[in-house]
Amino acid sequence: MISTEAPASEPPIVDLRGLHKTYTFGESAVEVLCDVNLRIGAGEVVSLTGPSGSGKSTLLNILGCLDRPTAGAYRLGGRDVSGLSRPAQAWVRLHFIGFIFQSFNLIARASALENVGLPLYYAGVLRNRREELARDLLDQVGLGDRFDHLPSQLSGGQCQRVAIARALACGPRLLLADEPTGALDSRSGAEVLELLLRLQRRQGLTVVIVTHDLAVARRADRQVHLLDGHVVEGQERAA
Amino acid sequence: MKKIRFEEVSAAAQILVRYPGRSALTMLGLAIGVAAFIAMVSFGEGARRSVIAQFEMLGTNLLVVSPFSGQREALNKAVQPLTDSDVQSLRREATTLRDVIPVARSDQDVSHDGLHHWLRITGTLPGYPDLHSWTLVGGGMFDLTDVAQRAKVCVLGATPARILFGDADPLGQTVTVGGVFPCRVVGLLATKGYSAGGDDLDDLIIIPVTTFDAYWGSAAGYSRLELEPLRPSLMPAAEREASEILARLHRIDDGDDDFKVTSPIEVIRAVERTSSILSDLLRGIAAVSLLVGGIGIMNIQLVSVAERTREIGVRAAIGASPTQILSQFLWEALVLTVVGAAAGVGLGLTIASITAEVMQWPRVISGPGIAGGVAFALGVGIVFGFLPARRAAAMDPIEALRHE
Repeated sequence: MISTEAPASEPPIVDLRGLHKTYTFGESAVEVLCDVNLRIGAGEVVSLTGPSGSGKSTLLNILGCLDRPTAGAYRLGGRDVSGLSRPAQAWVRLHFIGFIFQSFNLIARASALENVGLPLYYAGVLRNRREELARDLLDQVGLGDRFDHLPSQLSGGQCQRVAIARALACGPRLLLADEPTGALDSRSGAEVLELLLRLQRRQGLTVVIVTHDLAVARRADRQVHLLDGHVVEGQERAA
Repeated sequence: MKKIRFEEVSAAAQILVRYPGRSALTMLGLAIGVAAFIAMVSFGEGARRSVIAQFEMLGTNLLVVSPFSGQREALNKAVQPLTDSDVQSLRREATTLRDVIPVARSDQDVSHDGLHHWLRITGTLPGYPDLHSWTLVGGGMFDLTDVAQRAKVCVLGATPARILFGDADPLGQTVTVGGVFPCRVVGLLATKGYSAGGDDLDDLIIIPVTTFDAYWGSAAGYSRLELEPLRPSLMPAAEREASEILARLHRIDDGDDDFKVTSPIEVIRAVERTSSILSDLLRGIAAVSLLVGGIGIMNIQLVSVAERTREIGVRAAIGASPTQILSQFLWEALVLTVVGAAAGVGLGLTIASITAEVMQWPRVISGPGIAGGVAFALGVGIVFGFLPARRAAAMDPIEALRHE
């Protein structure tokens, strides 16, 4: 058993213990995650790498409370979230977790401001306050002049900035980024990564970045490598 | 909480802006359904009122006795005419009648100054117009003195007045009746228009019944006797009493009367029954079209949910609960329903107005009809909006996010 311990002494944000995920197709069962143990401390940036089929997406889905482990425990911020109901999972996603996707996943027919305000809407924040917060967030990602633009009127890098602002809207503890620079050219990819890390430092966020890009992975405090559902390597960044 | 509800509605209303074409198509079916419903209710009610109004013009507090052979001729039994002695006996004996008015009729030629017109001559008593709630627009009805003297006077209906005199004033002029006797015009009847059966009610000339007798005789008896009950509520009693008196006078002992007593009110009731069946039928058809509109909403919402699968996944991923997603799509269906229904109300009222204009019906705006149509539409919207909304809410966010 290979375990990866968080360096910080304070309680971890993410604490996975003996996590298994098995998909059953009729008679046959496929074990996608096998005895994963992982702790990620507050304010830590972790990169998650591995070939396709290694279980990265499944692990990310479980971390994001979109999926449940078959066995094992997942404590998020000290609280067991491995067996939550769908509405409870949604609540956790809304208040504790921010998602950033490779393909941005903005609502195509809504403006930048409306996209950023969406999580706030689901959190019950009223319109005026919502727009105020969304403007502030767009300012922080450098899009203070693009409030009313539709995603189709923005560049890829700008779309990803809107997505970052949206992910931060409800003040999450954990940010999950799935190939955040994968759909961007190297320059705007680098810019988005810098923005992400700057905001991470400013707010003390915990970030998990799934990536194929070693340059991106090296920017993390720690690299976690997955192979066939096992965590095979935990490498800390050379300080 | 209230404010959040309002924001849910306004968020759902954005569908109108974001998908205008699809929204319009979705609403079209329902709008047509609501419009059909309102127009149908209005048609039914307008037609009904128009038919009833026409029957009411004939008089409602009225019983009509007419000769009736029934099976008597076939059985070789005599059919006695309605005579003056019937009139006198009814007047003398009946306790439920205010008046008995004999009516003799004959189709004759009437002419004035070389112009001829063929019409129905009515020989009767001065009470006739009142009994039929018929007013005079000029001159007056002849009186009982005219009747006693067999005076050659007449009251003209609007149709012969127009044909024989055009724009000139017929009062005091003379018309030749039946080619045999001159008759002075003393009164002009108001216009009644056409009966439900299409007869021109104004195509008549009224003369004293005695004058009629003098020229065409009364051997065949009166065409009918018109009985006015003391009160409308006495109608059934009056009908019974008149039948008994006449049966005795005509020596009918086998119940096979040689006359029949009818009342326009019975006709009106029959018409009301028929037309309310018709109204129900129209409403039923309109309800079906509303239902079809609702199914249209469901289909397009299902397509919409399928097309927006990825969006639903994104919303779920960023923290929308299944309930919030359900409510979003349900509100969208409701917004489409409400806007569609409102458009349908406008369209329905327009159709109803145009039809009323064309058909010359009273223009009926039925509050319950509109409310019923809209309420039914809302019900349909909720019921048929629910299935697509539930499908959206039940989606697995991971699957939905993977959807292209």
